[in-house]
Amino acid sequence: MSLSVLMPVFALMTSLLASVVLFALPEKGYRLRTTINLVAAVVKIALVAVMIWGIARGREYEAAFTMLPGVEFVLRADALSMLFAGLSALLWLLTTIYAVGYLEDSPNRSRFFGFFSLCVASTMGIALAGNLFTFFLFYEMLTLSTYPLVVHRGTRKALRAGRNYIIYTLTGGAVLLLAIAWLHGLVGDLRFQEGGHFAGVDPSLQAPLTIIFVLLMTGLGVKAALVPLHGWLPQAMVAPAPVSALLHAVAVVKAGAFGIIRVVFEVYGLEAAEAMGLLAGLALVAAFTIIYGSTRALYQIDLKRRLAFSTISQVSYIVLGLCLFGPLGVMGGLVHLVHQGIMKITLFFCAGNYAETLGVHRIDELDGAGKRMPGTSVAFTLGAFGMIGAPPLAGFITKWTMGAGALEVGMDWVVAVLVVSSLLNAAYFLPILHRLWFAEQQQAWPHERRWGRLETSPWLLWPPLVTAVLLVLAGILANVPFSPLSWAELIVLREVAL
Amino acid sequence: MIFASAPFVLLSVMLPLVSVLLALRADWQQIYRYCLPVLPLPALLMGLLAEPDWWLELPGLMIGGLWGVDDLRRAFLLLTATLWLIGGVFAIGYLKDHKLRRFCVFWALTLAGNLGLVIALDVASFYSFFALMTFAGYGLVVHEGTDEANRAGRVYLAMAVVGEMAILSGLLMAAQLAGSGLLADLPAAIADADRRWLIMLLLLAGFGVKAGLPLLHFWLPLAHPVAPTPASAVLSGAMIKAGLLGWLVTLPFGEVSLPDWGNGLVLLGAVGSLGGAALGLCQQRPKAVLAYSSISQMGLITLMVGAALANAEAAAPLFAVMALYVLHHGLAKGSLFLSTGMALPASRGGQWLMWLLIALPGLSLAGLPFTSGAASKLAMKELLKPDRFDFAMAAYLSVLMSAGAVATMLLVWRFLWVQRAGASTGSNPSFLWLGWGLATAASVVLFWLLPWHADVPQKAWLSAMVQDAWSLFWPILVATLLAAVALRLVKQR
Repeated sequence: MSLSVLMPVFALMTSLLASVVLFALPEKGYRLRTTINLVAAVVKIALVAVMIWGIARGREYEAAFTMLPGVEFVLRADALSMLFAGLSALLWLLTTIYAVGYLEDSPNRSRFFGFFSLCVASTMGIALAGNLFTFFLFYEMLTLSTYPLVVHRGTRKALRAGRNYIIYTLTGGAVLLLAIAWLHGLVGDLRFQEGGHFAGVDPSLQAPLTIIFVLLMTGLGVKAALVPLHGWLPQAMVAPAPVSALLHAVAVVKAGAFGIIRVVFEVYGLEAAEAMGLLAGLALVAAFTIIYGSTRALYQIDLKRRLAFSTISQVSYIVLGLCLFGPLGVMGGLVHLVHQGIMKITLFFCAGNYAETLGVHRIDELDGAGKRMPGTSVAFTLGAFGMIGAPPLAGFITKWTMGAGALEVGMDWVVAVLVVSSLLNAAYFLPILHRLWFAEQQQAWPHERRWGRLETSPWLLWPPLVTAVLLVLAGILANVPFSPLSWAELIVLREVAL
Repeated sequence: MIFASAPFVLLSVMLPLVSVLLALRADWQQIYRYCLPVLPLPALLMGLLAEPDWWLELPGLMIGGLWGVDDLRRAFLLLTATLWLIGGVFAIGYLKDHKLRRFCVFWALTLAGNLGLVIALDVASFYSFFALMTFAGYGLVVHEGTDEANRAGRVYLAMAVVGEMAILSGLLMAAQLAGSGLLADLPAAIADADRRWLIMLLLLAGFGVKAGLPLLHFWLPLAHPVAPTPASAVLSGAMIKAGLLGWLVTLPFGEVSLPDWGNGLVLLGAVGSLGGAALGLCQQRPKAVLAYSSISQMGLITLMVGAALANAEAAAPLFAVMALYVLHHGLAKGSLFLSTGMALPASRGGQWLMWLLIALPGLSLAGLPFTSGAASKLAMKELLKPDRFDFAMAAYLSVLMSAGAVATMLLVWRFLWVQRAGASTGSNPSFLWLGWGLATAASVVLFWLLPWHADVPQKAWLSAMVQDAWSLFWPILVATLLAAVALRLVKQR
């Protein structure tokens, strides 16, 4: 078998294999477990990097076999896959490092890291899936592998959140399956394909296709936390910090958003979806979600809960970008898949650091934390400004590109949505920054741990610092080859066919 | 290229940014304190030495970067760098050790933003540096940590964020129409836009928040006075001008004549210059009086902005005069703000000399002959002659200028009065003397040596001033008489 067939399989197998080995390891094998984790993560980054390099030069990677008559299992790496796979591989390494530090003395680490790897394998599968069926397999695998992570602590609150999570996602999965099956019955097995399949489709199919589209969006919208399907997300923040970080940045919400991208671009096709009038409705839902999430975030006093509502808002930027139906708007949406990931994971790492090091969970306990934990707080500050969309950070590039895209196609109201959302983001992030840097510490930290000269464990400190640097670079160097923006441009040129 | 500008332009922004690394260790904070005046040096050298109209391309930067300097920006650069340098010297003596590190970091970041926005020729860099200045400036405003400072900071930040959003929307719309990320392409695109009014309104209001335009000014008299004195000086002297620069580089000057906008802005300028002065007269604290004086002076500049919008042909020469005015007001206002932090010497003769030196930049604001203010006012008067314009408000321009001069002088008397009431005698650290002395020298003497814009009318030259001495002097006289009468009334009561 040639390398072009094996590469996507290898990329998937690295985390799958790691997961199997990790489950088998004894609880005490701390060094071995950490080594396996890190080696697998680095290998995966290397594999993805090779594929990104190859795809930039026009190579193709695909592995496929027939499972049932008419049903194929397809792994295919294209430019769009790499956007998600690259993000997932990079953040997996950083989150693994973080998780090693975070779970230092807690029980059930074998189980945790096993499911953790399985979860990353699922995201890799979602990125590489070449048709709806394959996509669905990994999408459900993701649901099942994240549940144990959400309830990892085993507290009543965690179990309740987990039950809620599993009800939401399994129902969503069922709706998705229904839609996929219906679509299969209607038009057969559809591979993801540039420009989609339904350009100039028979008018008689339009009605069922519209219903199927709504069903698909409902199934995917649960994970992407589109309002009103978002209810599980704020509760799921009871999970340990590295899980929240991964859930919010890469794994779950992004899987939903990525699925929406695939369906719109490569099943329906952007032009066909627009012609059938499907995008307008989706745009409204996304715009509403953006404002709703930000507004709810404003009222949260728990730091992680505020971040969770912020995620609901930010992920819908991606969906809104697609609906802009023009190259710039689509670019803005695609690039936000990466930008939001980097920014949000930074914020969750930092929230975890405050909780682990100082025992601080509530925003009003953060007074003066900048002095005690300057590195973490600098990272948090950059992440927050990125979310607000302050230039020259990653979030600004998204906002600028999407805004320009909206004006290009005459959807000026989207600029107003972006502005209102930025104002709300400023309203809920800037007071936190004031507390960090300008308020005096009021009382002793609720539960402080000391690490000598460092502000916290280096395992916890480095990941947010690295992602903070990345979110600055993604903004400042947006015009450099292989930056997220340049890659999004490549996707639009090659695959969206506008 | 005689002068290697490219490394200098990078250095002038990077030096303040990189200096933040000095905050990594607590025991470096004393070093950082002494580095503050060094940070704007490369920018100052560039302003003095660089030849006009060159640029540096940075294609990888955001959506494509272009940095450089032209005649207009050179005046802003000179002012910004000089004032921050002087403020830095003053800060060495002024700052206590408490929270010194934090102050230095925000000082350096604000400086980087302020310098960067002057040399940015592309939209994204300009907006980035503008935002950096705005957000880092918050750290200077709330530095003292008092309730008053925090309240002022909240108002500052809220209005600044709304302003940023207006700017962003305006820039987005203009850049989309221009099909370009360069500031230089925006005015023409805005001039031809279907929704010109909306874009102009967004940009006017967005930058107007910084420039203290009436009704968008509420944060200014709260924030400028509560900051530590050296920060007040740069806020009111240099950063306020960033809003003006924003107008000058984006609005469609020289492209179309827009008499309606001219009328509107002249009206706003009149409200700003007279209303600002009126409110300033009611203030009890010297720094608050000065903050309102800044609003008033920006109002006078707004008259010129309005005239330049109303008549496309007048725009280019007016730009030269505005650059001159910016330089004059920034240096004078910086010096006045720094003087509020000075203690008076014990000896009577020393006190007299000091009062004279404190008053001089103020008299310069009012246009005393042979000061920088006289040069600016004469140049302004020359260009705003009513026969050059045919919009409704043009007839009132010269009256407004004279009224503005009277109002300015009254404010200066008010400032001296409240300053005297709160003045203490004692010794000053030597860096305070040095900073204040430099500021006063810059306003009174150095101003004449700086390379101005090439197109300033000859009327403004020192040699021409003798003939116009009376026209400059009578508003000062009127204001002084009014002040004397007011003083009598107060004393009788």
